[in-house]
Amino acid sequence: MTDAASLSRLAALLPDILRTLLWGAGATLMLTAASFALAATLGFVLALMRRSDWLPVRAVARAYLELFRNVPILTQLFILYFGLARIGITLPATVAAILGFGLNGAAILSEVFRSSINAVDRGQHEAALAIGMTPGRSFRSIILPQAFPIALPSTGSFLIGLLKDTSLASAAAVPELAFRARMLVSETYLTTEIYLTVAVIYLFLSLPIARFVRWAERRSVPHRAT
Amino acid sequence: MGVLELWTEIWPELLDALLASLKLALGALALGLALGLLLALARLRGQGPLWRATGIYIEVFRGTPALIQLFIIYFGLAAVGITFSSLQAAIIGLGLNAAAYLAEIFRAGIQAVPRGQSEAALAIGMNRTQVMAWIVLPQAARIVLAPVGNVAISLLKDTSVASLIAAPDLMLRAQDLSSQYFQPLQIYLIAGGIYFLVCFPLSWLVRAVEPKR
Repeated sequence: MTDAASLSRLAALLPDILRTLLWGAGATLMLTAASFALAATLGFVLALMRRSDWLPVRAVARAYLELFRNVPILTQLFILYFGLARIGITLPATVAAILGFGLNGAAILSEVFRSSINAVDRGQHEAALAIGMTPGRSFRSIILPQAFPIALPSTGSFLIGLLKDTSLASAAAVPELAFRARMLVSETYLTTEIYLTVAVIYLFLSLPIARFVRWAERRSVPHRAT
Repeated sequence: MGVLELWTEIWPELLDALLASLKLALGALALGLALGLLLALARLRGQGPLWRATGIYIEVFRGTPALIQLFIIYFGLAAVGITFSSLQAAIIGLGLNAAAYLAEIFRAGIQAVPRGQSEAALAIGMNRTQVMAWIVLPQAARIVLAPVGNVAISLLKDTSVASLIAAPDLMLRAQDLSSQYFQPLQIYLIAGGIYFLVCFPLSWLVRAVEPKR
């Protein structure tokens, strides 16, 4: 049967395939980490903007959120990578991908951060002011430390989504896991075997985050109840 | 060529492609809703082999990228002799994927219906199927409306991923048009604008049906 033939070929090629895929997994993790850093930083700034007393600042942050979350991430990547190249702004594929996932993720995280900050009881802020803290000091030392555990589960879910979404960067030839898999498939024709292996690798990368999210969720429930 | 000139030239094509995306999203949503409800009901029957199997299904489909799922269904299954058209593969892939998310939403929604409701229904002589169909599910439907709406919007955006297995959708047409006119920036911006014009009112609608806290 062809199954046996394909199995023996798979065995011969296995070390090379696994090495390539593991390099790809490393690139996926780095792409995820860099995009997350950008998304969290910009997302925090946007969340602060949503709390501004000045309407135009709030409006800009709100418009950013709606614009980025109502357009597919793949379209955003194509605008950054193929679109900008047409008008002379050629970004390396990896940079375009980090920028795309970072800008998109910032919109999602800004909403997570904003609602987590709002979920902290107002009385906390009032009490901090009453004992003589400045509003800034109260925000940093009283509000943020309490908002952090509330934001953890949603931030974790976002991180899993981001990890999976980085596979879309393969369309822009970023040498991450999905792209390496596509290259390997076109070289070896071991289509099913390679894509199934890749699915398992993504699963192994995302399960620890999922476990962490569930753990954080359990821990933050009593926090929210009080 | 200006954006407006280009737009007047390509809008019938993009409109046509948007309809294809909507059809793809609706097909996947129908599959996802049906399978998601079955998975949720199976999970609610309690611990056992079925509970474990549905749990694995949900973890696997939520823990792997939709793109890889589409590749396995379209290219992977074709390699072992099961061939689908790219549209069929996209509906199946996105539908199976959505089912994993919808199963958890349905399970939580069903569990959020107060126990007293089904106890009272059992007490007046309904059997378990009747209780589920006439008492619990209608109340759960109201609870899950907003989260299901969010899944539907994600699904519509995710149809763009199906362009990578060449399923007929807005993003695939945008790719064709941008190589034809060599105007990728304008065409992808227009495509993004079309997605926005559909998704933004939908997400506004979802927020409107969200129960106020």
